[in-house]
Amino acid sequence: MEFCFLRILKLTMKVLVMLLLFLGNIKNSTAYFSSSSEATMHTNNWAVLVCTSRFWFNYRHMANTLSLYRTVKRLGIPDERIILMLADDMACNARNKYPAQVFNNENHRLNLYGDNVEVDYRGYEVTVENFLRVLTGRHETAVPRSKRLLSDEGSHILLYMTGHGGDEFLKFQDSEELQSHDLADAVKQMKEKGRFKELLIMVDTCQASTLFSQLQSPGVLAIGSSMKGENSYSHHLDSDVGVSVVDRFTFYTLAFFERLNIYDNASLSSLFNSYNPNLLMSTAYYRRDLYQRHLEEVPVTNFFGSVMETIHTDSAYTSLTNKNFGGAKTKTFLGQSFSSSDINSVRNSDDEDQFNNLTAEEDQHDEAGQCIFCAMDSGHLWSFILGNVSTHESVDFFVCYGLVLMLPLLVFSTWLSL
Amino acid sequence: MAEAKTHNNSNKPRPRILIYLAIQIITHSTIVSVICFIAGIVALLLLPVLAKNTYISENALMPGSATNMLSSHDVAEANKLVKDLTDLKLRSNGSPIESRKLIAQYMLGLDAEVTYHNFYPQLNQFHPLHFFTSPDSSIISKNISCASIGINTVGIIRAPRGDGKEAIVLVTPYNPKKVVLGEALSLGVAYSVFSLLSRVTWLAKDIIWLVADSQYGEYSSVSAWLREYQAPQFHRVVVNSETCNESSTIEGNLYSGFRRAGTIAAALVVKIAEDGNHFDDSLNIYAEASNGQMPNLDLINIVNYLAVHKQHLRIKVSKMWSLLGSKWLNTLGVFWECIGQYARRLNPQWKFGIPANEYVEGTATLASSMYYQGLGVPTGPHGAFRDYQVDAITVEISPKVSPTKMNRHIDFIFRGGRLIEGVVRSINNLLEKFHQSFFLYLLTSPSKFVSVGVYMIPFALLGAPLPIVAASLYMFSSKATPQAPVASEVDFSLESWKWINSAKKVFVIHLWGVAVSLLPYFLCRIPGLTPTNNLTVWGSFAVLSLVILFSMLGYPTSVAVPSEAEKREWANLKSVTLSAIFIGLSLMSVINFATAEIGALLIVPFCLMARPLMLDIQARSMRTLLLATCNLALGFIAFPPCAFLLLKSAFDSSGGYNISDYWNWMESLWAWNSATYLYIGIVHLPCWALCIHILFHPS
Repeated sequence: MEFCFLRILKLTMKVLVMLLLFLGNIKNSTAYFSSSSEATMHTNNWAVLVCTSRFWFNYRHMANTLSLYRTVKRLGIPDERIILMLADDMACNARNKYPAQVFNNENHRLNLYGDNVEVDYRGYEVTVENFLRVLTGRHETAVPRSKRLLSDEGSHILLYMTGHGGDEFLKFQDSEELQSHDLADAVKQMKEKGRFKELLIMVDTCQASTLFSQLQSPGVLAIGSSMKGENSYSHHLDSDVGVSVVDRFTFYTLAFFERLNIYDNASLSSLFNSYNPNLLMSTAYYRRDLYQRHLEEVPVTNFFGSVMETIHTDSAYTSLTNKNFGGAKTKTFLGQSFSSSDINSVRNSDDEDQFNNLTAEEDQHDEAGQCIFCAMDSGHLWSFILGNVSTHESVDFFVCYGLVLMLPLLVFSTWLSL
Repeated sequence: MAEAKTHNNSNKPRPRILIYLAIQIITHSTIVSVICFIAGIVALLLLPVLAKNTYISENALMPGSATNMLSSHDVAEANKLVKDLTDLKLRSNGSPIESRKLIAQYMLGLDAEVTYHNFYPQLNQFHPLHFFTSPDSSIISKNISCASIGINTVGIIRAPRGDGKEAIVLVTPYNPKKVVLGEALSLGVAYSVFSLLSRVTWLAKDIIWLVADSQYGEYSSVSAWLREYQAPQFHRVVVNSETCNESSTIEGNLYSGFRRAGTIAAALVVKIAEDGNHFDDSLNIYAEASNGQMPNLDLINIVNYLAVHKQHLRIKVSKMWSLLGSKWLNTLGVFWECIGQYARRLNPQWKFGIPANEYVEGTATLASSMYYQGLGVPTGPHGAFRDYQVDAITVEISPKVSPTKMNRHIDFIFRGGRLIEGVVRSINNLLEKFHQSFFLYLLTSPSKFVSVGVYMIPFALLGAPLPIVAASLYMFSSKATPQAPVASEVDFSLESWKWINSAKKVFVIHLWGVAVSLLPYFLCRIPGLTPTNNLTVWGSFAVLSLVILFSMLGYPTSVAVPSEAEKREWANLKSVTLSAIFIGLSLMSVINFATAEIGALLIVPFCLMARPLMLDIQARSMRTLLLATCNLALGFIAFPPCAFLLLKSAFDSSGGYNISDYWNWMESLWAWNSATYLYIGIVHLPCWALCIHILFHPS
């Protein structure tokens, strides 16, 4: 009896501890909304791909954007997290010799405008206003979710822009310009609203580097195809279609990614070093003073793919007070090659933070099939859950023993009544 | 006067700098005008040196970026058409109906929409009020018989995925009554391109192939079709084919009625020259439309680029051949070359100066470009398009050997077809109207041009002395008028309004000019007059009416001792005349710059120098006599018929000038509604008459 009472006491204590833990979590998460996102984990990837120029002779800009769209999709960013903005429709242009097809190479092996291309903003929808609205998230209420950048403070965003640029501006639609101040201001707003953790801006225009000159927000990495006063050139002319089909910078970027698959660990620095000024006919420029991490340690798939740590739970909706909560298994998906032991201590607390966030927005996560590999991370939560499970077993035993004990008691009482 | 000025300055505050400058310029008007005039001539001669290389300004055009798709099948079919057409001529003595039917059948074979367009040829008539309006189709004489109907054959290919709002026109002039091999070949070239375009997927603009019936002239057939295309008339006499039994034999696949495509983006007139014996296959470009309007330079650029870089044809634009051999021009060229070399030694950045032979060629081309623009008469059927603001040029391919002696038509069609295909594909890429490049330019070679900003400088320099001299003369005449010491207010105001008298005279003479330029309208109505007779009647009327006018205005002929006021009258008259010619030239420069430039060259020196001969004769010094001779010579040159003969001799070295040529020339000017005719009649002639009047003014 004493044993049993002790067990029950232990159980209530555990429940109490759990409650305490839960309360602590709430406190923690409220605290971290106000703090910078440094402590936040990279949880999701977004891509905003923009082609800003109209007209048939700017075919290559659409081909650039569609090629990059294909690449990031291949590397694992799903369509719902890609905002694709195309200012003109070359595929359906009457001058296109191959109706409804867009190519980025004169060998015509790969049609970029295949079945599953989801263009979010097309034609005259691609304006400076809409672009800034997408970045800052200030939409009209009627704008559907698919056209919004629903990123959060754990997001890595790739922003790719191509078109005709000049000194500190990028031309939109032959009628408007996006100035470097506008871009910097939008990025600053995004930072303050906690819309990204890290942002990679990639620009393929003439004098692309000038577009970055006003950026101030931390966590922003920028790369442009050319320095101030330089032009960005097209790579080659497709004499069958009659236009240039791809720009040099994008062509060599794509060439780099064609060698990769989603399991590769090529770093950002290897991408940046792959640009040869002689081949580009311009100098690729990257601005990294706002970016904290070492480029050698950041895999390109951090931006161009969707490889990150996620925590998988078996069932989608579980109330936290339910005992089944303890049955959830924590899996950490890692794309990084560094060992998990050296950051274990940091992650222990992180994991608990993530727990709440993830169960709340689990529906946004990829299927488990997209995960790359799982590493069982046994922090103290895990041991606590295991302990919890053992308690459950002893309760069962206690009930069984009780029932067995009841049997002779029943026999004894009936014998007495007889 | 200058002394008086300085004296005044010491007492009064300094006048404003602009007013001071203006007064200085007016007081030294003689020197200023001489400097300006010489600078104007020098600037004009410098134009070939200052010419820039042409470049393709519109990004959308992308000429030559696509490979040619013209296949040997297209060319073989085209060659068959040429053969059929020439065979037809031999077989049925060139029945126009047969050949028209043949072309329509070939077009139908390509799934094109084919129609016939019947038109009455518009006779060249003088419409005095139609100089600046588009030609009107309502003036058609009713008694035109069926035999004089012209029939254009029109084939239209719709762009498979285009919006049908724009079109490109190919024109091949063709006379079905007299088939010549050159025209048949041009049909073959156009057919090969048409055949290719009927099956390509990249068309964004509809293609119209107009086989223009050129038996009444190439221009009139094209302009009749365009008039119908652009400005349909719903209540006019219907040219019914049934009433004339023309096309009753043609099968029913043809569309009835007039078919249209979209707005015409550009038009290309394709011709094959008959004469052979050229050094190489070459290409002539004709671009001048009415009143010196030019198509956008980009259109010439793409033809030039594709012909030179892709088809390796030699490009030619017309030149003034007589200038090519001239010694003085060559010397000038060498001089510019030396200056250029010297300038480059000073600063290697200065790209100044061109080789002497290039300079001579450039000047010859520039002179011809200026002459044809100044004439205001279109140089080919493309001129009809410019009236509707459509850019168009005529490309005339001159084969190395004459088409009749050519044994391989296929190669020739291939070459021409590829060129036309390239141009059409480039225009097809165009998104808007041609607007990026220049409309106002003079060509100094097929790949060099002088833009409006540069060629305005000589004209401005030539014109600048006119108001300066006018102002100084006015000041001189009003200063020199002896005034009574106690002149009343009324007298003074009368004195200052003295120029009104001169203005009246100038105005009346200009009215006389209008009357003289309207006279040919009535002369044309009188049947059976030869050009010489016409000219005689015209000239005698002009002289007679001028004499009567002067006697009415009180020409001071028999005044023995002219009063002081009359002595000064010529200065006032000259001042007003100079103002009038300045206004006239400025107005003309807006309408047709080249005319104004040539006109300024002819009339400005005479106007500036004109002064009564009596003054010079009275002075009897070497200088004044020289001045008088100069005046007479300039007056002779500025006389319109003389100026015409001078220009004609400069262009045609063939010789044989007849005075009736002048009548014919004037007739062609008004028939083409050229503003040059108005300029000669209303500005040049009256001013010349006034200057002659000043020359013989008694002083």
